[in-house]
Amino acid sequence: MINWRLLSRQVVLYLAVGGLALYAVWPWLPGANRAQPRTIVVYGFSILGEVMNDGVFPAFQEHWKARTGEDVEFISSFGGSGTVTNQIILGVPAEVAILSLELDALRLVESGRVDGSTWRELPHGGILNRTPFIILVRPGNPRQITDFADLTQPGVGIIHPDPLTSGGAQWAILAEYGSELRETGDPARAYEQLLGIWQNVTSQASSARAARTQFQSGFGDVLITYEQEVTYDMLRGQLEGEIVYPKSTILSEHVVVVIDDNIPRADRELIDAFVDFLWSEEAQRIFVEYGFRSVDETLNVDVPYFGVIDDPFTVADMGGWPEAKREIIDAIWKDRVLQEVGNE
Amino acid sequence: MNDSLPRVRRRSAGSVLPVSLLLLVLLPLLLMPLAAIYIFAGSSGLAGFWEALRQPDAQFALRFSVLIAFATAIINGVLGTFAAYVLSKYRFRGREALLVIVNLPVAIPTVVVGTSLLLLWGPIGLLGRVLDPLGIQPMFMPAGVLLAHLFVTFPYMLGAVKPVLDELEVTYEEAAYTIGANRWQTFRFVILPALRGGLFAGTLLTFAHSLGEFGATVLVSGNLRLRTQTAPLYIFAQFEAGNIETANAVAAVLATLSFVLFLILQRFTQRVVERPS
Repeated sequence: MINWRLLSRQVVLYLAVGGLALYAVWPWLPGANRAQPRTIVVYGFSILGEVMNDGVFPAFQEHWKARTGEDVEFISSFGGSGTVTNQIILGVPAEVAILSLELDALRLVESGRVDGSTWRELPHGGILNRTPFIILVRPGNPRQITDFADLTQPGVGIIHPDPLTSGGAQWAILAEYGSELRETGDPARAYEQLLGIWQNVTSQASSARAARTQFQSGFGDVLITYEQEVTYDMLRGQLEGEIVYPKSTILSEHVVVVIDDNIPRADRELIDAFVDFLWSEEAQRIFVEYGFRSVDETLNVDVPYFGVIDDPFTVADMGGWPEAKREIIDAIWKDRVLQEVGNE
Repeated sequence: MNDSLPRVRRRSAGSVLPVSLLLLVLLPLLLMPLAAIYIFAGSSGLAGFWEALRQPDAQFALRFSVLIAFATAIINGVLGTFAAYVLSKYRFRGREALLVIVNLPVAIPTVVVGTSLLLLWGPIGLLGRVLDPLGIQPMFMPAGVLLAHLFVTFPYMLGAVKPVLDELEVTYEEAAYTIGANRWQTFRFVILPALRGGLFAGTLLTFAHSLGEFGATVLVSGNLRLRTQTAPLYIFAQFEAGNIETANAVAAVLATLSFVLFLILQRFTQRVVERPS
């Protein structure tokens, strides 16, 4: 006796499983005429996601197609700069890394993934673009924030990325400490400002992007982040908040690192062409379109959404990254501020 | 289905209060969060939903997850059944310890599984240090994701099959041997048919868990779009990047898929329970 109900049920089940399996393997089926395009594997820090995926990658694909007739596919991952660096140290197959700060690049050297400071031989010492650190407040600026010093008022809730995984967070610490140091020249007052700000940090997100998402979801009064994060949203009409430009703040400098060991010999020319392309006028213009400040100062003139900063500074003004990391991030922020905040 | 067994059900007015109280508790705990996924998915319109799903990286993530789930279910289906057979049919020294070990993955946090895999296979790991120079590196590759899923889901097959094997009367096997069946024939024609329900349930559970695995995968996959990013990782990455609609569209698909799997599992296990006659 055939049990028809049971049989039809089984047929449905087999069809469902078969259909699901077919869906899963579809792109890899032979005859799906997919010529394997050449690939470039790019790992970048969080805020680069849109400008690379929507701007620079397509532009290079066109550029390369016009030059050689070949298709190029970009495989990419974006996360906190520290996260990305750790992944590369652990062995992800990144060919090009764009890191938020040179410190992470130096960690790649230390781990042996990169053979010396090779990025310094690239154009502009490997620096791809810049963006100043700013303060984002809620619409109408209800807390009356005008500078970093105002962030130390009790009761201000600050969303800050986590320095453990986010390069942006480390830049922010330099900005919070360095701005006061430049204005007063007094390390004690700079320390007080940094401490006051960190006593008000209510949430530490894993990356600058994650911090912005938290702020947008309604948490906190203030977000300390890259200007680009905010102008990019402003350009899309999605900004809910106002930018406060501190009198003095740091310009972050983002570094391109080529991971030579991960590049097959056949792709060397392609990767080099891509890296060169990053500093072409076309690519630099795209960065400006997405709110980054170009390394070519002529492209930054008359851009309406670049705010004025009276006294901008760079990490070079603080002795370069190794020293800034040792003297400010570790000796002041980690060993003193964090301890004191933790003891309350 | 249940008409042969008249159940005792209380339909008195007294049931209204506890039932509505339970619903009131479950509403914000379980039902509303699930509903939120679908309501949000619908809010940007069906067009927006499809657009989000059609993204090549979203498609890849879903396909990759399903593929890994199939591979995990098949491999652990065989391995788990084998383990269940050995642990159920043989008595040997260290059996108790082995029983604990094979069930361990249920108790270990998945993040720890990811860490331990990296510390074994990664370039700085115990095995990785030897294998990496040879060009063998499963971590941050699909193979690494598969390894993590095999680890995490191992006990589900065992848990579904072993109790059935334990219950199985030895007399059937003995009868098979007496009429001249060898060990394989006995397994194939006596034990396997009895195991069907357990095999099915175990495979489905394994599949479902693999589909949703996050904690171990996030560490070992490298989270590479179009290469090793599974659907749960895609949802997390997109959500963190603020692309809530994109994240939610894939979340809705994943939720639906899991829901269907669960329904099949429910109906099937019911049938198995009803069938013995």
